[in-house]
Amino acid sequence: MTSHLITDLAGKIHEAWSTRNPIAPIRDHFAAADTDAAYAVQNINTTRWEAEGRRLVGRKIGLTSKAVQKQLGVDQPDYGMLFHDMEVPDGWEISRKDLIQPKVEAEIAFVVGRDLDEENLSIAEVIRAVEYALPAIEVVDSRIADWKIGIVDTIADNASSGLYVLGGSPKRLTDIDLRLCGMSLDCRGEPLSTGVGAACLGNPLNAMWWLARTMARAGRPLKAGDTVLSGALGPMVTVQWGEVMEARIEGLGSVRGDYSKE
Amino acid sequence: MSKSLNDYAAFLDQAAAEGREVPQISEDRAFTVDEGYAIQALSLARRYARGERRVGVKMGLTSRVKMTQVGVNEVIWGRLTDAMRVEEGGSISLARYAHPRVEPELAFLMKAPLAGEVSAVEALAAVEAVAPAMEIIDSRYRNFKFTLPDVVADNSSSSGFVLGGWHSPTLDFSNLGLVMEADGRAVQVGSTAAILGHPVRSLVAAARMVARWGESLKPGDIVLAGGITAAHPLAAGMHIRTQFQTLGALSFSVKE
Repeated sequence: MTSHLITDLAGKIHEAWSTRNPIAPIRDHFAAADTDAAYAVQNINTTRWEAEGRRLVGRKIGLTSKAVQKQLGVDQPDYGMLFHDMEVPDGWEISRKDLIQPKVEAEIAFVVGRDLDEENLSIAEVIRAVEYALPAIEVVDSRIADWKIGIVDTIADNASSGLYVLGGSPKRLTDIDLRLCGMSLDCRGEPLSTGVGAACLGNPLNAMWWLARTMARAGRPLKAGDTVLSGALGPMVTVQWGEVMEARIEGLGSVRGDYSKE
Repeated sequence: MSKSLNDYAAFLDQAAAEGREVPQISEDRAFTVDEGYAIQALSLARRYARGERRVGVKMGLTSRVKMTQVGVNEVIWGRLTDAMRVEEGGSISLARYAHPRVEPELAFLMKAPLAGEVSAVEALAAVEAVAPAMEIIDSRYRNFKFTLPDVVADNSSSSGFVLGGWHSPTLDFSNLGLVMEADGRAVQVGSTAAILGHPVRSLVAAARMVARWGESLKPGDIVLAGGITAAHPLAAGMHIRTQFQTLGALSFSVKE
Protein backbone atom coordinates (compact mmCIF):
# COMPACT_ATOMS: atom_id res chain seq x y z
CA MET A 1 0.00 0.00 0.00
CA THR A 2 1.68 3.19 -1.16
CA SER A 3 1.04 6.58 0.40
CA HIS A 4 0.15 7.77 -3.08
CA LEU A 5 -2.68 5.23 -3.31
CA ILE A 6 -3.91 6.15 0.19
CA THR A 7 -4.05 9.83 -0.77
CA ASP A 8 -5.78 8.95 -4.02
CA LEU A 9 -8.49 6.87 -2.29
CA ALA A 10 -9.01 9.57 0.35
CA GLY A 11 -9.57 12.03 -2.50
CA LYS A 12 -12.18 9.75 -4.07
CA ILE A 13 -14.10 9.47 -0.79
CA HIS A 14 -13.84 13.21 -0.19
CA GLU A 15 -15.27 13.87 -3.62
CA ALA A 16 -18.09 11.33 -3.16
CA TRP A 17 -18.92 13.03 0.13
CA SER A 18 -18.99 16.55 -1.31
CA THR A 19 -20.83 15.68 -4.54
CA ARG A 20 -23.14 13.02 -2.94
CA ASN A 21 -22.20 10.68 -5.76
CA PRO A 22 -21.35 7.29 -4.28
CA ILE A 23 -18.38 5.29 -5.52
CA ALA A 24 -17.56 1.60 -5.91
CA PRO A 25 -16.05 -0.22 -2.90
CA ILE A 26 -12.34 0.51 -2.44
CA ARG A 27 -11.36 -2.60 -0.47
CA ASP A 28 -9.88 -4.39 -3.49
CA HIS A 29 -6.97 -1.93 -3.35
CA PHE A 30 -6.02 -3.20 0.10
CA ALA A 31 -4.69 -6.39 1.60
CA ALA A 32 -7.62 -8.16 3.28
CA ALA A 33 -8.77 -6.34 6.42
CA ASP A 34 -5.87 -3.85 6.39
CA THR A 35 -7.58 -1.59 8.89
CA ASP A 36 -4.41 0.45 9.50
CA ALA A 37 -4.38 1.53 5.86
CA ALA A 38 -8.13 2.23 6.05
CA TYR A 39 -7.63 4.50 9.07
CA ALA A 40 -4.78 6.19 7.18
CA VAL A 41 -7.29 7.07 4.43
CA GLN A 42 -9.80 8.32 7.02
CA ASN A 43 -7.11 10.39 8.73
CA ILE A 44 -6.15 12.20 5.52
CA ASN A 45 -9.74 13.33 5.11
CA THR A 46 -10.04 14.31 8.78
CA THR A 47 -7.01 16.57 8.40
CA ARG A 48 -8.34 17.94 5.12
CA TRP A 49 -11.81 18.62 6.50
CA GLU A 50 -10.37 20.42 9.52
CA ALA A 51 -8.27 22.55 7.16
CA GLU A 52 -11.47 23.30 5.22
CA GLY A 53 -13.07 24.69 8.38
CA ARG A 54 -15.03 21.76 9.74
CA ARG A 55 -14.65 21.67 13.51
CA LEU A 56 -14.03 18.29 15.14
CA VAL A 57 -16.62 17.98 17.93
CA GLY A 58 -16.61 14.26 18.73
CA ARG A 59 -16.40 10.67 17.59
CA LYS A 60 -18.74 7.87 16.67
CA ILE A 61 -18.23 4.23 17.46
CA GLY A 62 -19.44 1.68 14.93
CA LEU A 63 -19.67 -2.12 14.69
CA THR A 64 -20.61 -2.45 18.34
CA SER A 65 -22.98 -5.38 17.84
CA LYS A 66 -21.65 -8.94 17.69
CA ALA A 67 -23.99 -9.67 14.76
CA VAL A 68 -22.65 -6.77 12.67
CA GLN A 69 -19.04 -7.62 13.58
CA LYS A 70 -19.66 -11.16 12.36
CA GLN A 71 -21.16 -9.87 9.09
CA LEU A 72 -18.01 -7.85 8.40
CA GLY A 73 -15.63 -10.50 9.71
CA VAL A 74 -14.13 -8.42 12.52
CA ASP A 75 -13.93 -8.74 16.28
CA GLN A 76 -13.55 -5.05 17.10
CA PRO A 77 -15.59 -1.89 16.78
CA ASP A 78 -14.45 0.99 14.60
CA TYR A 79 -14.51 4.76 14.93
CA GLY A 80 -15.17 7.87 12.86
CA MET A 81 -15.08 11.65 13.36
CA LEU A 82 -18.01 13.90 14.21
CA PHE A 83 -17.81 17.42 12.79
CA HIS A 84 -19.84 20.46 13.84
CA ASP A 85 -21.87 20.51 10.61
CA MET A 86 -23.16 16.96 11.16
CA GLU A 87 -25.26 17.99 14.12
CA VAL A 88 -29.01 18.56 13.76
CA PRO A 89 -31.07 19.95 16.68
CA ASP A 90 -33.72 17.68 18.24
CA GLY A 91 -36.82 17.54 16.03
CA TRP A 92 -35.48 19.75 13.26
CA GLU A 93 -35.78 18.85 9.63
CA ILE A 94 -33.17 16.66 8.02
CA SER A 95 -32.63 17.31 4.34
CA ARG A 96 -32.52 14.58 1.76
CA LYS A 97 -30.06 16.67 -0.24
CA ASP A 98 -27.42 16.39 2.48
CA LEU A 99 -27.35 12.62 2.35
CA ILE A 100 -26.88 9.78 -0.12
CA GLN A 101 -28.51 6.61 1.32
CA PRO A 102 -29.13 7.29 5.00
CA LYS A 103 -30.09 4.77 7.66
CA VAL A 104 -31.02 5.45 11.25
CA GLU A 105 -29.80 4.05 14.55
CA ALA A 106 -30.78 4.83 18.14
CA GLU A 107 -27.83 5.23 20.46
CA ILE A 108 -26.58 6.57 23.75
CA ALA A 109 -24.34 9.62 23.44
CA PHE A 110 -21.76 10.64 26.01
CA VAL A 111 -20.53 14.16 26.68
CA VAL A 112 -16.88 14.07 27.76
CA GLY A 113 -16.11 16.18 30.84
CA ARG A 114 -12.33 16.13 30.79
CA ASP A 115 -9.43 15.49 28.44
CA LEU A 116 -8.54 11.82 28.04
CA ASP A 117 -4.93 11.79 26.88
CA GLU A 118 -3.91 8.63 28.73
CA GLU A 119 -3.43 5.57 26.51
CA ASN A 120 -4.02 3.02 29.26
CA LEU A 121 -7.21 4.40 30.72
CA SER A 122 -9.20 2.40 33.23
CA ILE A 123 -12.98 2.01 33.05
CA ALA A 124 -13.18 3.97 36.32
CA GLU A 125 -11.33 6.89 34.74
CA VAL A 126 -13.67 6.77 31.75
CA ILE A 127 -16.74 6.74 34.02
CA ARG A 128 -15.36 9.75 35.93
CA ALA A 129 -14.75 11.56 32.65
CA VAL A 130 -18.30 11.12 31.30
CA GLU A 131 -20.18 14.25 32.24
CA TYR A 132 -23.57 13.25 30.82
CA ALA A 133 -25.37 10.58 28.86
CA LEU A 134 -27.97 11.64 26.25
CA PRO A 135 -30.38 9.85 23.94
CA ALA A 136 -29.15 10.13 20.35
CA ILE A 137 -30.11 9.35 16.78
CA GLU A 138 -27.32 8.63 14.37
CA VAL A 139 -28.13 9.03 10.70
CA VAL A 140 -25.47 6.89 9.08
CA ASP A 141 -24.67 7.20 5.39
CA SER A 142 -22.26 5.55 3.01
CA ARG A 143 -20.24 7.03 0.19
CA ILE A 144 -19.96 3.46 -1.12
CA ALA A 145 -22.74 2.67 -3.62
CA ASP A 146 -25.61 0.52 -2.27
CA TRP A 147 -23.89 0.11 1.12
CA LYS A 148 -21.72 -2.67 -0.35
CA ILE A 149 -19.18 -2.14 2.40
CA GLY A 150 -16.46 -4.27 3.88
CA ILE A 151 -14.57 -3.31 7.03
CA VAL A 152 -11.95 -1.38 5.05
CA ASP A 153 -14.58 0.59 3.08
CA THR A 154 -16.46 1.76 6.14
CA ILE A 155 -13.37 2.74 8.14
CA ALA A 156 -11.92 4.70 5.22
CA ASP A 157 -15.31 6.37 4.77
CA ASN A 158 -15.30 7.93 8.27
CA ALA A 159 -17.09 4.88 9.69
CA SER A 160 -20.12 5.55 7.44
CA SER A 161 -21.06 8.64 9.42
CA GLY A 162 -23.70 11.09 8.24
CA LEU A 163 -25.58 13.31 10.68
CA TYR A 164 -26.61 13.05 14.31
CA VAL A 165 -29.26 14.39 16.66
CA LEU A 166 -28.88 14.67 20.44
CA GLY A 167 -31.81 14.69 22.86
CA GLY A 168 -31.95 17.49 25.36
CA SER A 169 -32.27 15.51 28.58
CA PRO A 170 -28.77 14.94 29.99
CA LYS A 171 -28.44 12.33 32.74
CA ARG A 172 -25.58 11.46 35.06
CA LEU A 173 -24.26 7.92 34.91
CA THR A 174 -25.38 7.46 38.52
CA ASP A 175 -29.00 7.95 37.44
CA ILE A 176 -29.40 5.37 34.70
CA ASP A 177 -28.66 1.70 34.07
CA LEU A 178 -26.97 1.83 30.67
CA ARG A 179 -26.93 -1.96 30.31
CA LEU A 180 -30.65 -2.62 30.79
CA CYS A 181 -32.26 0.53 29.36
CA GLY A 182 -34.84 -0.40 26.71
CA MET A 183 -34.78 1.29 23.29
CA SER A 184 -37.58 1.75 20.78
CA LEU A 185 -37.13 3.62 17.50
CA ASP A 186 -40.64 4.58 16.44
CA CYS A 187 -42.45 6.01 13.45
CA ARG A 188 -46.14 6.91 13.85
CA GLY A 189 -46.26 5.03 17.14
CA GLU A 190 -44.97 1.76 15.67
CA PRO A 191 -41.53 0.42 16.54
CA LEU A 192 -39.20 0.05 13.55
CA SER A 193 -36.33 -1.16 15.71
CA THR A 194 -36.11 -2.16 19.35
CA GLY A 195 -33.19 -3.05 21.58
CA VAL A 196 -31.37 -2.43 24.82
CA GLY A 197 -28.14 -0.88 26.14
CA ALA A 198 -26.49 -4.29 26.41
CA ALA A 199 -26.64 -4.63 22.59
CA CYS A 200 -23.68 -2.21 22.43
CA LEU A 201 -20.68 -4.36 23.42
CA GLY A 202 -22.51 -5.50 26.56
CA ASN A 203 -22.69 -1.93 27.85
CA PRO A 204 -22.22 1.39 26.03
CA LEU A 205 -19.52 2.25 28.58
CA ASN A 206 -17.44 -0.66 27.26
CA ALA A 207 -17.53 0.99 23.82
CA MET A 208 -16.67 4.36 25.34
CA TRP A 209 -13.69 2.84 27.14
CA TRP A 210 -12.45 1.19 23.93
CA LEU A 211 -12.79 4.48 22.04
CA ALA A 212 -11.05 6.63 24.66
CA ARG A 213 -8.02 4.31 24.70
CA THR A 214 -7.97 3.92 20.94
CA MET A 215 -8.17 7.67 20.31
CA ALA A 216 -5.36 8.41 22.76
CA ARG A 217 -3.21 5.86 20.93
CA ALA A 218 -4.19 7.24 17.52
CA GLY A 219 -3.09 10.74 18.51
CA ARG A 220 -6.56 12.30 18.50
CA PRO A 221 -7.50 11.96 22.19
CA LEU A 222 -10.97 12.85 23.42
CA LYS A 223 -11.20 16.36 24.85
CA ALA A 224 -13.53 17.97 27.37
CA GLY A 225 -16.78 18.83 25.58
CA ASP A 226 -16.50 16.13 22.93
CA THR A 227 -19.61 14.18 21.93
CA VAL A 228 -19.34 10.40 21.61
CA LEU A 229 -21.98 8.33 19.83
CA SER A 230 -21.40 4.98 21.47
CA GLY A 231 -23.09 2.59 19.00
CA ALA A 232 -26.49 1.24 17.97
CA LEU A 233 -28.82 -0.34 20.56
CA GLY A 234 -30.88 -2.18 17.93
CA PRO A 235 -30.96 -2.97 14.22
CA MET A 236 -30.34 -0.09 11.81
CA VAL A 237 -33.38 0.96 9.72
CA THR A 238 -33.78 2.89 6.48
CA VAL A 239 -35.06 6.45 6.61
CA GLN A 240 -38.82 6.86 6.15
CA TRP A 241 -38.81 10.05 4.08
CA GLY A 242 -41.54 12.50 4.97
CA GLU A 243 -41.83 11.06 8.50
CA VAL A 244 -40.62 11.85 11.98
CA MET A 245 -38.67 9.04 13.61
CA GLU A 246 -38.30 9.09 17.37
CA ALA A 247 -35.81 7.17 19.49
CA ARG A 248 -36.95 6.48 23.06
CA ILE A 249 -34.46 5.19 25.59
CA GLU A 250 -36.08 4.16 28.87
CA GLY A 251 -34.69 6.21 31.74
CA LEU A 252 -32.80 8.54 29.42
CA GLY A 253 -35.47 10.33 27.36
CA SER A 254 -36.20 10.67 23.68
CA VAL A 255 -34.93 12.40 20.54
CA ARG A 256 -36.46 12.99 17.11
CA GLY A 257 -35.40 13.46 13.53
CA ASP A 258 -37.83 14.95 11.00
CA TYR A 259 -37.01 13.50 7.58
CA SER A 260 -39.25 15.80 5.61
CA LYS A 261 -37.01 18.29 3.87
CA GLU A 262 -36.36 17.91 0.16
CA MET B 1 -62.13 -42.35 5.43
CA SER B 2 -60.84 -38.84 5.98
CA LYS B 3 -59.76 -37.79 9.45
CA SER B 4 -61.90 -35.51 11.60
CA LEU B 5 -60.67 -32.40 13.39
CA ASN B 6 -60.90 -34.46 16.58
CA ASP B 7 -58.51 -37.03 15.10
CA TYR B 8 -55.94 -34.29 14.49
CA ALA B 9 -56.53 -32.95 18.01
CA ALA B 10 -55.83 -36.40 19.45
CA PHE B 11 -52.74 -36.69 17.24
CA LEU B 12 -51.29 -33.38 18.49
CA ASP B 13 -52.31 -33.97 22.09
CA GLN B 14 -50.47 -37.27 22.08
CA ALA B 15 -47.37 -35.72 20.49
CA ALA B 16 -47.38 -32.99 23.17
CA ALA B 17 -47.89 -35.49 25.99
CA GLU B 18 -45.00 -37.61 24.74
CA GLY B 19 -42.69 -34.71 23.81
CA ARG B 20 -42.40 -36.11 20.33
CA GLU B 21 -42.06 -34.60 16.83
CA VAL B 22 -44.78 -35.25 14.24
CA PRO B 23 -45.36 -34.23 10.60
CA GLN B 24 -47.42 -31.13 9.93
CA ILE B 25 -51.16 -31.58 9.57
CA SER B 26 -51.00 -29.41 6.45
CA GLU B 27 -48.92 -32.16 4.81
CA ASP B 28 -51.92 -34.44 5.28
CA ARG B 29 -54.62 -32.01 4.19
CA ALA B 30 -55.16 -28.29 3.67
CA PHE B 31 -57.05 -26.56 6.48
CA THR B 32 -57.94 -23.05 7.61
CA VAL B 33 -56.81 -21.00 10.59
CA ASP B 34 -60.35 -21.32 12.02
CA GLU B 35 -60.09 -25.11 11.75
CA GLY B 36 -56.69 -24.77 13.44
CA TYR B 37 -58.36 -23.05 16.41
CA ALA B 38 -61.05 -25.76 16.47
CA ILE B 39 -58.34 -28.44 16.62
CA GLN B 40 -56.59 -26.48 19.41
CA ALA B 41 -59.83 -26.35 21.46
CA LEU B 42 -60.45 -30.08 20.96
CA SER B 43 -56.86 -30.89 21.84
CA LEU B 44 -57.01 -28.79 25.04
CA ALA B 45 -60.33 -30.45 25.97
CA ARG B 46 -58.37 -33.70 26.17
CA ARG B 47 -55.94 -32.12 28.62
CA TYR B 48 -58.77 -30.76 30.75
CA ALA B 49 -60.35 -34.23 30.75
CA ARG B 50 -57.09 -35.55 32.22
CA GLY B 51 -57.34 -33.01 35.04
CA GLU B 52 -55.27 -30.12 33.70
CA ARG B 53 -56.72 -26.71 34.42
CA ARG B 54 -56.67 -23.66 32.12
CA VAL B 55 -54.76 -20.85 33.87
CA GLY B 56 -54.57 -18.27 31.10
CA VAL B 57 -53.56 -17.62 27.52
CA LYS B 58 -50.45 -16.87 25.52
CA MET B 59 -50.12 -14.55 22.56
CA GLY B 60 -47.85 -15.29 19.60
CA LEU B 61 -46.50 -13.56 16.50
CA THR B 62 -46.65 -10.25 18.36
CA SER B 63 -43.54 -8.81 16.75
CA ARG B 64 -43.26 -7.48 13.21
CA VAL B 65 -40.22 -9.71 12.72
CA LYS B 66 -42.17 -12.88 13.54
CA MET B 67 -45.23 -11.81 11.53
CA THR B 68 -42.97 -11.26 8.53
CA GLN B 69 -41.25 -14.62 9.10
CA VAL B 70 -44.57 -16.48 9.04
CA GLY B 71 -46.03 -14.13 6.40
CA VAL B 72 -49.08 -13.00 8.38
CA ASN B 73 -50.50 -9.79 9.72
CA GLU B 74 -52.36 -11.08 12.76
CA VAL B 75 -51.33 -12.30 16.18
CA ILE B 76 -52.25 -15.80 17.35
CA TRP B 77 -53.16 -17.21 20.73
CA GLY B 78 -52.99 -20.44 22.69
CA ARG B 79 -54.07 -21.73 26.09
CA LEU B 80 -51.94 -22.14 29.21
CA THR B 81 -52.62 -24.92 31.70
CA ASP B 82 -51.38 -25.48 35.25
CA ALA B 83 -49.22 -28.35 33.98
CA MET B 84 -47.16 -25.87 31.94
CA ARG B 85 -46.05 -23.88 34.98
CA VAL B 86 -42.34 -24.00 35.77
CA GLU B 87 -41.19 -22.69 39.15
CA GLU B 88 -39.00 -19.59 39.09
CA GLY B 89 -35.50 -20.90 39.91
CA GLY B 90 -36.68 -24.44 39.23
CA SER B 91 -35.84 -26.84 36.46
CA ILE B 92 -37.39 -28.55 33.48
CA SER B 93 -36.74 -31.99 32.12
CA LEU B 94 -35.75 -32.08 28.43
CA ALA B 95 -37.41 -35.51 28.08
CA ARG B 96 -40.81 -33.84 28.34
CA TYR B 97 -40.20 -31.79 25.17
CA ALA B 98 -39.46 -32.36 21.50
CA HIS B 99 -37.09 -29.44 20.77
CA PRO B 100 -37.80 -26.68 23.28
CA ARG B 101 -36.75 -23.07 22.95
CA VAL B 102 -37.11 -20.19 25.37
CA GLU B 103 -38.04 -16.57 24.83
CA PRO B 104 -38.41 -13.61 27.19
CA GLU B 105 -41.96 -12.35 27.69
CA LEU B 106 -44.03 -10.03 29.80
CA ALA B 107 -46.95 -11.52 31.79
CA PHE B 108 -50.21 -9.92 32.93
CA LEU B 109 -52.25 -11.12 35.92
CA MET B 110 -55.94 -10.29 35.43
CA LYS B 111 -58.09 -8.94 38.25
CA ALA B 112 -61.29 -8.38 36.25
CA PRO B 113 -62.92 -10.16 33.31
CA LEU B 114 -61.99 -8.89 29.86
CA ALA B 115 -63.34 -9.95 26.48
CA GLY B 116 -64.24 -8.50 23.09
CA GLU B 117 -63.38 -5.10 21.68
CA VAL B 118 -61.69 -3.13 24.46
CA SER B 119 -59.48 -0.05 24.57
CA ALA B 120 -55.95 -0.09 25.95
CA VAL B 121 -57.17 1.91 28.95
CA GLU B 122 -59.93 -0.63 29.67
CA ALA B 123 -57.50 -3.51 29.25
CA LEU B 124 -55.01 -1.98 31.67
CA ALA B 125 -57.77 -1.34 34.22
CA ALA B 126 -58.44 -5.10 34.26
CA VAL B 127 -54.81 -5.91 35.13
CA GLU B 128 -53.82 -6.74 38.69
CA ALA B 129 -50.07 -6.91 38.07
CA VAL B 130 -47.30 -7.35 35.50
CA ALA B 131 -44.29 -9.66 35.77
CA PRO B 132 -41.17 -10.53 33.81
CA ALA B 133 -41.63 -13.95 32.27
CA MET B 134 -40.13 -16.56 30.00
CA GLU B 135 -42.02 -18.94 27.77
CA ILE B 136 -40.77 -22.35 26.79
CA ILE B 137 -42.10 -22.97 23.31
CA ASP B 138 -41.96 -26.37 21.71
CA SER B 139 -43.56 -26.90 18.36
CA ARG B 140 -44.67 -30.48 18.04
CA TYR B 141 -43.83 -30.29 14.34
CA ARG B 142 -40.63 -31.62 12.82
CA ASN B 143 -37.82 -29.02 12.65
CA PHE B 144 -40.09 -26.36 14.21
CA LYS B 145 -41.53 -25.83 10.70
CA PHE B 146 -45.22 -25.10 10.25
CA THR B 147 -47.91 -23.14 8.43
CA LEU B 148 -50.13 -20.69 10.30
CA PRO B 149 -53.07 -23.18 10.71
CA ASP B 150 -50.57 -25.83 11.88
CA VAL B 151 -49.12 -23.68 14.66
CA VAL B 152 -52.57 -22.55 15.78
CA ALA B 153 -53.74 -26.19 15.97
CA ASP B 154 -50.61 -26.96 18.03
CA ASN B 155 -51.69 -24.53 20.79
CA SER B 156 -49.37 -21.90 19.31
CA SER B 157 -46.30 -23.97 20.33
CA SER B 158 -47.06 -23.33 23.99
CA SER B 159 -45.47 -25.76 26.42
CA GLY B 160 -44.17 -24.03 29.54
CA PHE B 161 -43.79 -20.71 31.31
CA VAL B 162 -41.86 -19.17 34.18
CA LEU B 163 -42.95 -16.03 36.02
CA GLY B 164 -40.83 -13.55 37.96
CA GLY B 165 -42.07 -11.20 40.66
CA TRP B 166 -45.30 -9.23 40.23
CA HIS B 167 -45.27 -5.43 39.91
CA SER B 168 -47.93 -2.76 39.87
CA PRO B 169 -49.36 -2.16 36.38
CA THR B 170 -49.08 1.58 36.99
CA LEU B 171 -45.37 1.19 36.27
CA ASP B 172 -44.50 2.12 32.67
CA PHE B 173 -43.59 -1.26 31.18
CA SER B 174 -43.75 -0.16 27.53
CA ASN B 175 -40.02 0.00 26.79
CA LEU B 176 -38.09 -2.01 29.37
CA GLY B 177 -34.77 -3.46 28.29
CA LEU B 178 -33.78 -7.05 28.96
CA VAL B 179 -30.90 -9.45 28.57
CA MET B 180 -31.49 -13.21 28.36
CA GLU B 181 -28.47 -15.29 29.36
CA ALA B 182 -27.56 -18.93 28.89
CA ASP B 183 -24.97 -19.98 31.48
CA GLY B 184 -24.29 -16.33 32.29
CA ARG B 185 -23.63 -15.22 28.71
CA ALA B 186 -26.03 -12.93 26.87
CA VAL B 187 -27.83 -14.82 24.09
CA GLN B 188 -30.73 -12.45 23.33
CA VAL B 189 -31.31 -8.77 24.09
CA GLY B 190 -34.32 -6.57 23.50
CA SER B 191 -37.05 -4.29 24.79
CA THR B 192 -40.68 -4.92 25.75
CA ALA B 193 -41.49 -2.39 23.01
CA ALA B 194 -40.92 -5.27 20.57
CA ILE B 195 -44.39 -6.53 21.60
CA LEU B 196 -46.55 -4.56 19.13
CA GLY B 197 -44.88 -1.32 20.28
CA HIS B 198 -46.51 -1.65 23.73
CA PRO B 199 -47.36 -4.93 25.51
CA VAL B 200 -50.84 -3.67 26.45
CA ARG B 201 -51.74 -3.84 22.74
CA SER B 202 -51.22 -7.59 22.98
CA LEU B 203 -53.68 -7.75 25.88
CA VAL B 204 -56.21 -5.81 23.79
CA ALA B 205 -55.71 -8.38 21.00
CA ALA B 206 -56.05 -11.24 23.51
CA ALA B 207 -59.43 -9.93 24.73
CA ARG B 208 -60.65 -9.69 21.13
CA MET B 209 -59.38 -13.09 20.03
CA VAL B 210 -60.56 -15.18 23.01
CA ALA B 211 -64.03 -13.63 22.64
CA ARG B 212 -64.13 -14.79 19.02
CA TRP B 213 -63.81 -18.33 20.36
CA GLY B 214 -66.42 -17.87 23.06
CA GLU B 215 -64.00 -17.42 25.92
CA SER B 216 -62.96 -14.54 28.13
CA LEU B 217 -60.00 -13.51 30.23
CA LYS B 218 -60.98 -14.16 33.83
CA PRO B 219 -59.75 -12.82 37.16
CA GLY B 220 -56.63 -14.77 38.10
CA ASP B 221 -55.76 -15.57 34.48
CA ILE B 222 -52.19 -15.17 33.27
CA VAL B 223 -51.70 -13.58 29.84
CA LEU B 224 -48.29 -13.99 28.23
CA ALA B 225 -47.98 -10.99 25.92
CA GLY B 226 -45.66 -12.51 23.32
CA GLY B 227 -41.99 -13.16 22.64
CA ILE B 228 -39.69 -10.15 22.88
CA THR B 229 -36.67 -11.63 21.08
CA ALA B 230 -35.89 -14.61 18.89
CA ALA B 231 -36.19 -17.90 20.80
CA HIS B 232 -33.08 -19.62 22.13
CA PRO B 233 -32.76 -23.43 21.83
CA LEU B 234 -32.49 -25.28 25.13
CA ALA B 235 -29.99 -28.03 25.90
CA ALA B 236 -29.39 -30.24 28.92
CA GLY B 237 -27.35 -28.56 31.66
CA MET B 238 -28.22 -25.05 30.59
CA HIS B 239 -29.03 -22.35 33.10
CA ILE B 240 -31.30 -19.67 31.64
CA ARG B 241 -31.76 -16.28 33.26
CA THR B 242 -33.43 -13.12 32.00
CA GLN B 243 -32.83 -9.77 33.62
CA PHE B 244 -35.33 -6.99 32.96
CA GLN B 245 -34.94 -3.27 33.50
CA THR B 246 -36.93 -2.34 36.65
CA LEU B 247 -38.79 -5.70 36.86
CA GLY B 248 -35.94 -7.89 38.10
CA ALA B 249 -34.70 -11.29 36.97
CA LEU B 250 -35.99 -14.85 36.69
CA SER B 251 -34.32 -18.14 35.88
CA PHE B 252 -34.63 -21.88 35.46
CA SER B 253 -32.33 -24.73 34.54
CA VAL B 254 -32.57 -27.57 32.07
CA LYS B 255 -32.05 -31.20 33.06
CA GLU B 256 -31.78 -34.34 30.87
